[in-house]
This record gives sequence, C-alpha cells and structure tokens, in this order.
Amino acid sequence: MSAKITSYETAEIRGPKLAFNLTPENCGRMLMRSKRLLVVVGGDALKMKVADGVDVPEVAARLARNLGGTIVASPGVFKAFQSVSDVKLINMGLEDAVNRLKDESWKGFDGMGAYDMAVFIGGLYYFQSMMLSTLKHFAPNQKTISLDRFYHPNATFSLENLTPDKWKAGLDAMLQLLEAKK
Amino acid sequence: MATKISIKELDSQFAKIRGLDLVIGKVVEAGEEWSEPVGPTPYPDITALRGWDQRILARYPPFYSPLSDFCEFCTYGKCDLTAGKQGACGIDMEAHQGKWSLLTCVMGAACHATHAHHIVEYLIKKYGEDHPIDVGSEVDIEAPLIRLIAGIKPKKLGDLKEVLTYLDNQVTQLTSATATGQEQSPIDYESKALHAGMLDNLALEVADIAQVSALGLPKGNSDTPLVEIGMGAIDKSKPVILCVGHNVAPGSEVINYLEDKGTYGSVEVAGICCTAHDLTRYSKNAKIVGPISRQLMFVRSGIADILIIDQECVRADVVDEARSVGTRVIATSDQICAGLPDLTDKTPDEIVKALLTDTPAVLVRNPAKVGEVAARAAIEAAPQRKSEKGLKDEQVLANTSRCTLCRECTENCPINLDIGYAVNAAKKSNLEPLQKIFQECIGCGRCDEACPQSIPVLSTINAASTAKIKEEKFTIRVGRGPIRDTEIRNVGRPIVMGEIPGVIAFVGCSNYPGGNEDLAKMADEFAKRRYIVVTSGCAASDLARYRDENGQTLYEKYPGDFDAGCIVNTGSCVSNAHPIGAVIKIASIFAKRNLRGNFEEISDYILNRIGAVAIAWGSQHQKAMAIATGANRLGVPVILGPQGVKHRRAYLGRSEDNEKWMVLNARDGKKVYGGPAPEHLLYVAETIEETMVMAARLVMRPNDTPKGRMIKLSNYINLHKQLYGTMPDDVQRFVRAETDLPVTMKDDVIPVLKERGWKPIEIPDPTLLDRMVLRRE
Ligand code: SF4
Ligand code: SF4
Repeated sequence: MSAKITSYETAEIRGPKLAFNLTPENCGRMLMRSKRLLVVVGGDALKMKVADGVDVPEVAARLARNLGGTIVASPGVFKAFQSVSDVKLINMGLEDAVNRLKDESWKGFDGMGAYDMAVFIGGLYYFQSMMLSTLKHFAPNQKTISLDRFYHPNATFSLENLTPDKWKAGLDAMLQLLEAKK
Repeated sequence: MATKISIKELDSQFAKIRGLDLVIGKVVEAGEEWSEPVGPTPYPDITALRGWDQRILARYPPFYSPLSDFCEFCTYGKCDLTAGKQGACGIDMEAHQGKWSLLTCVMGAACHATHAHHIVEYLIKKYGEDHPIDVGSEVDIEAPLIRLIAGIKPKKLGDLKEVLTYLDNQVTQLTSATATGQEQSPIDYESKALHAGMLDNLALEVADIAQVSALGLPKGNSDTPLVEIGMGAIDKSKPVILCVGHNVAPGSEVINYLEDKGTYGSVEVAGICCTAHDLTRYSKNAKIVGPISRQLMFVRSGIADILIIDQECVRADVVDEARSVGTRVIATSDQICAGLPDLTDKTPDEIVKALLTDTPAVLVRNPAKVGEVAARAAIEAAPQRKSEKGLKDEQVLANTSRCTLCRECTENCPINLDIGYAVNAAKKSNLEPLQKIFQECIGCGRCDEACPQSIPVLSTINAASTAKIKEEKFTIRVGRGPIRDTEIRNVGRPIVMGEIPGVIAFVGCSNYPGGNEDLAKMADEFAKRRYIVVTSGCAASDLARYRDENGQTLYEKYPGDFDAGCIVNTGSCVSNAHPIGAVIKIASIFAKRNLRGNFEEISDYILNRIGAVAIAWGSQHQKAMAIATGANRLGVPVILGPQGVKHRRAYLGRSEDNEKWMVLNARDGKKVYGGPAPEHLLYVAETIEETMVMAARLVMRPNDTPKGRMIKLSNYINLHKQLYGTMPDDVQRFVRAETDLPVTMKDDVIPVLKERGWKPIEIPDPTLLDRMVLRRE
C-alpha cells in the first residue's frame, strides 16, 4: 500500500521535482556513501529537544563524527556545540552557508573541495524549505538530505512526516547503523 | 527630466540659427533661493542609476529562494522552471525571481505613491496648494529624499505634485518591465527593483512631510507624549470607532467632528496598524489597539461600533468579520471598495440611517463626511452593542470539545505554532497553552480555515486569554516625525567617526517567528549599548507591548532623542522616510556633500561611512520589501527575520572574497582593501541571536576611525561571546591596525590575529566612484 507524501506545511506544494522519501535506515545507507559530508544545523534545533525529545546537536555531532563530516551550525544554536571538540565546526547563518554551497566553484570550509552531500536538520520548517529550494534550483548537482521530522519536498532526499517517537527512534536506528559500520 | 539643447550657430539649407537654447521637458530651476548646484541625476529615469546598481550588485549579488517551482504569468504556462529549465517564453528561474523581486517592490512603491497622492490631494483641497511645507523650526533640510532624488526643494504643498507625477510615470514604466517579453536579465530586474525601492522611499517622504506640515503632527520634538496602546486600553463603555489602515484623513476627520461637537471625550477613537500611529500624532487622546497582528482578534471581539477601513494592510475578510459581530463598516478609499455600495454622494443623515438599518457596510470616499457619519453612527450604535454583541468565553471554548488532535491547524500555522496541542489541552480545561500562543500568535486566522471540525481556533485563543487581553495596556511615545538638523549636528561626527556604534532601525510588520518580545529584547539590548535606536510602524507598536524586569515599557525607559542610548519612534510606515532622511542629512550637514540630484555620491558616502542598519524582524508586506530595497540602494543594509525569506531575495556579500571588498582610496586613487564592511545589503536571519550579532557586524564601515572601529568591534566581539560563546571567526577582517582593538580585549584578540596570519592595512578614504577620487598618484 502506498501513502501520499505531503509536505508538513499544507500549502508548501511543489513539483514536479520532489524529494525521494527515505526511511531513516536508508538515509543512513545513503550517508555512508558520502565522501565529503556537510551537516547543516538550523536555528530551531534546540526547541526540538523540548518539543520532540530529540537532541539535534548530539545527532549532528554523531553524524559528523562517524562520517568525517563538517558541521555548520546556525548562530542561534551554536552555543550548544561548545562541548563538541572532535569535529570541524563552523558558526554561520543558513543563508550565508547556502550561498556558498550553491557556488560550484566553492572549495568548502577547509578548502578541500565541494561537499557531495549536505544534511539539513533542526531548521525552522519554512526557512529550511526555502534554503533547500535555493539549492534545488541553483545548485542542482548538490545532493541534500533532510533529517527533520517533516517531509521537505525541496530536498533531494527526505524523511516522511513522522511522530516525535518515530523520528527519535528512526534517528537512533540510523546512527546505530552508522556506528556499527564504523 | 529636462534636456537642454544649445545651438551656437547653425547654417543649413533650411535655416540660419544663432544662439538658440531649446529646453525640452521640465526645467529644474537652480532657483534664487537654493544655490546648491544640480547634481547629475535629478528625477532619475529607470536606467539613470543603473551603473550604481551594477556596482553594488556585483558586490552583493541577488540570492534567490524560489517560493514556487513554476511561472504562471502568461498563458503559455504554467511552466516548470526547476533547476535551470526555461519557460515557454524563454525565461529561467533566476530571471523569474528577479521579476518577482521587481514586482514586489513595485507593489510596495505603488502603495506608498498612491497613499502620498491621496493625502496630498486631500490636504491641498483642505488647506490649498500654497500651504507651506514646514516640518519644524529646527529642520532646515525639510525633505532630504526629495532634494536628493527629485532635485527640488519643496516650499508648499503644491510643489509636491510634480514629485507625484514623477512617481506615477516611473512606477508605470517599472510595472511595464515586469510583463512577459520585457526585461530579461536578473541584474537589470534588480536594478529596477532598487529603483522601485528608491521611489517608495521618496513617496514616504512626500506623504509624511505633507501631513506633518498641514495636520499639525509633531515636528521632530523628542518629548512627544506617551499614549495608551493595547487591546486592554480601549474603553468599552464608550462608543468605539476603530480605524484600520494607513491614511489618517478619515480618522482625523472623526476627531475634528467630535471636537467640534464637544463630544470627543465620550467617544473612543482607536486604530490598528499605521493609521493608529498617525491618529495619535494628530491627537494624543487617540489610542492604538496594536499592530496588524491584532486586527482580526480585535475586530472579532465586536468591541468596535464602527470600523473605518482606509488603505493598505486591511485584511480581505475584515468586512465580513466585522459584520458577523454587528460592527458597521465604512470603507473610505478608492483602493479598497470591498464590493460595498458607494454612498459618497448621499447626505450624512442618509448614510447614518443606512448604516444603522439596512446597509451596515458602505463606501464613502469623502473624509470629512466619513468623520461625521462615523461619529454619529457610533454614538447611536453603541448602546445596542453593549447589550447584544458577542459570545461568552465559555461558549467559544466549548467548541474545543470537538478537537480530534488532527493538528491540521498546526500544519497550517505560518509560524509553526503547535496550536492543535493547545486547543486539545483546552478541551481538557487546561488553558495555559492557548494563553502562551496568544503572546506569539500573529493573528492570521489560517488555523480557523484549516480545522476540519470547524472550530474557530483564533477565537478560542482570545477566549482563553481574556484576562491577558484586559492587561494588554502599555504606553508608546507618539511618533515624532523628522529628525532635527540640530540633532544631526550633534551626532553626525560621532556616527561617521564611529564613536556612536551605529543607528539601528526596528521597522516592518508583526510577522514574527515567536512573538513581539524578541523584537523588544533586541531593541533594549542595542539601546543599552548606546546605539541610536529608531523605530516606526508596527515594529514601533510591538516595542511598546513589552515590559522589562522593572515593569517599564521601552518608551518609558529610554528618551526619544536621536542620540546614543535613546529610542526614537518616528511614527507610521510613511515616517520611515525620517531615519532614511537622517542618514542623508548626515552626508549633507556633517560632510557638506551636495544633495541636489546627487544620488550616487550620497549613497556611496552612506555605504562607506555611515553605520546604519535596519532590522525588519517581522517583514510581511510588499511595502516592507520596497522600503528595505530603497534603503539598500542608498547603502543601508537590512536584516529580515525568518519570515522575510518568503520575499524570495537577499543581497549577499561573501566576506572571504577579497577582490569584492576593494575600494578606491579617494586620497590617491589606489585600489585598497576596505574589508567586508558592510558584508551584506539584505540578509535573512533565523534567530534573534544571529540578528543581533549580524547587526553589530553590519554597522562597520571602511571609513571608521580607529576609535570608532574600537567601539564597534568591542560591541561585536562582546555580543558574539555573549550569544555564541566564542571569538568571531572573522575578527581579523575587521582589524585594520592594533589601534582598532579595544584595550580590554587586546590580550584576547592579538593571539587570534597572529594565528590567522593577520597583517595591518591602511584606513582608506573609501569610495566606489571613480569621480570621487581627489588626486591620482
Ligand atoms: S492565527 Fe495564530 S495560531 Fe492560528 S495559524 Fe495564525 S499564527 Fe498560527
Ligand atoms: S484542526 Fe481542529 S480538530 Fe484538528 S487539532 Fe486543530 S483544533 Fe483540533
């Protein structure tokens, strides 16, 4: 049986290019293929711990740690990463970060080349949707995955709309998969 | 506007001519009374400033976030423009976004130009064309934007007519460029959007100096009275007349009529949005219900006996909403006829009778008549309202029993409030979540439309918050209008030298991600840090709706001067002209630059030397984008709150791109590094933390003196540490020499500079314009 995937905000109707909807495990498998990963953490990340019980900075740090990725954290949530010392961490607004990501000649925060995958998590839904729209239209080669609780049609891959419990469990399963592989 | 052709001598087969001067178009008179020479661009046409636009857009290219994947503008479409595809007309997504950007700014400019038309025509009719432009004894530069853009010095109301004609002409041309088969380059679309923004700013000034001059609104005095604001400030025991929109004419006529009859004290005249500001500027006994976010909430309360709508920011459902609670409606503007019968030609007696009997909503396009009719009808209708109207809170809250927690409402809330959870909690008699939402809700009503159980969700928020509504009573300092030239003389040097860390303007609508408190906290922080804080419009109202830990509103806490550590409310949307005018005046009064038709030079001056930044935390309307874009063309950066991302366009610099930060040193013509100052022209921030640190960064300018840069850096580093816990990653880009460093921070910063390979640079006399180079080596 197939279910209709809709964006979280009712009127955020896009098309014809829509994100492939993946399970958290498949997101994990997709991420394992990445050679240069950027984890983009949005400004709503801290609220998600209260609302949904998910510690987004912790998820981002585990992702980056296991896959050798870099984290770019929205300034409003940057402080939450203070104890993270073993991954490369950048403090930058999402618009600034996406402005660089969309530039094909950009060599990344370390000057070593483009990122082959950008993971988005912890964003205000409408704001993140627009950042993903920028990349979808103006950087069509930049692959993006949204790991937020809600389906993001403008990403290349996205989780479907999940309940908080399923989201938390799914992210745990995904991280365990990555950590087991490592 | 005019072209002068001089023929010294012509000897052709048709004629012999000697010494003929032929002028085509309107001559810009140098005038005996105004000896300032006319600059290169009086009344610039839509391409006259294209060169300047290209310069700034090369440094701050447009950054687009499409809100839709399609173009639906012509019948070839709709066309899918995803990821580089072209539409059937040949346009691609980038140009299509440029078109949206222009359209948005043109809509805004058209609104303000029309508003200016309406108010100027009304005032000329009432006071005559010769009524003098007088915006205060301490304001010699009465119209900095008009002087700068039009190149004229308006002396009387009638002089404003030629500016309006110019606005009409330009707005029409820009609108034409948006049609299919017209403009095609994103950069040219943006140049035209910048032109539209400039026109918008010009229209603001026309409207406000006209009303300040003729209606006796405050003329730049800092100590305007504190008046009441808030839903709880409205005295329900009196007849209540509510004015919504932006044009003060009908509301001011209500006050005139009541004053004439000696009954003003017994009738409550209140407003929502910018009309409200201008009503309190007109009479300190008028009240402000609140910003646009309180429109639907207050109308639904049924407290108003008469609702007067004029123009702009009037909800499209407000007539139906008002009628559903028994409030009579008078539409007053050609812009919003609302499908209502036009009774303009009827007598006041006939209109009052119609309103109170069989025609409870009418159109009357005559402000004086509206004044009389509204006052009389409100007095007659009030007793009926007090006995009949409104559902009891318990009845409204009973609707929550139908909630199934489907969360359709939540998924429709534009600011992602979990309203479904709150309604469901109310079903179980817990009203707290709804009360919390009341503080943050922008009052849009989309949740009502979404609920499959037909629960009037917004009304449940109100019903749960009755006690809070009663307490919603604050004070706001009445909009003072212009910034006085005497103030500019005092602060011009410290601003340009950087000793006052900057001017921060809180402007725009009330479309916030988390309530108005965020806005107030930001303003409080900057005022405490001794920036000059300016505000207007709905932002000014929202700053009032907050008390600090001592129970004071910001207007009670800070003086209203244009000076360090003060908060200046200039008034309504159209008084946004004054903070913009203030930065122009700094160039004129402090730096003695000519204004007249000299747009490029003044913008170059502002961009490189005046640390002014605007924060439109809740930008909602096209007008907000137009105002911001106009400020951008003048070299003033703007930060939008997260909802502003739906304007689809930012202007972003890249701090690491050193080539883009080269400026000409006017002293010797050499190209030198000026630093990413300011880094962006239009930036959308996600959080208030990001906004505050960004504002502290964007006030830096290449021209800052060491002392000035020290003060700006000190605030930037301090805010960065306070909010992010770290030293800024880019601190080395803003230190030109060790003398720029705050003494107390040297020990912290110098090792960082060393680690990052920092080298000192010269402080330039910066310009982007070749012609401003004084001497070449
Ligand atoms: S009225 Fe308030 S709660 Fe309802 S959708 Fe609008 S902002 Fe959200
Ligand atoms: S949409 Fe209606 S039924 Fe559904 S959660 Fe919201 S209030 Fe309850």
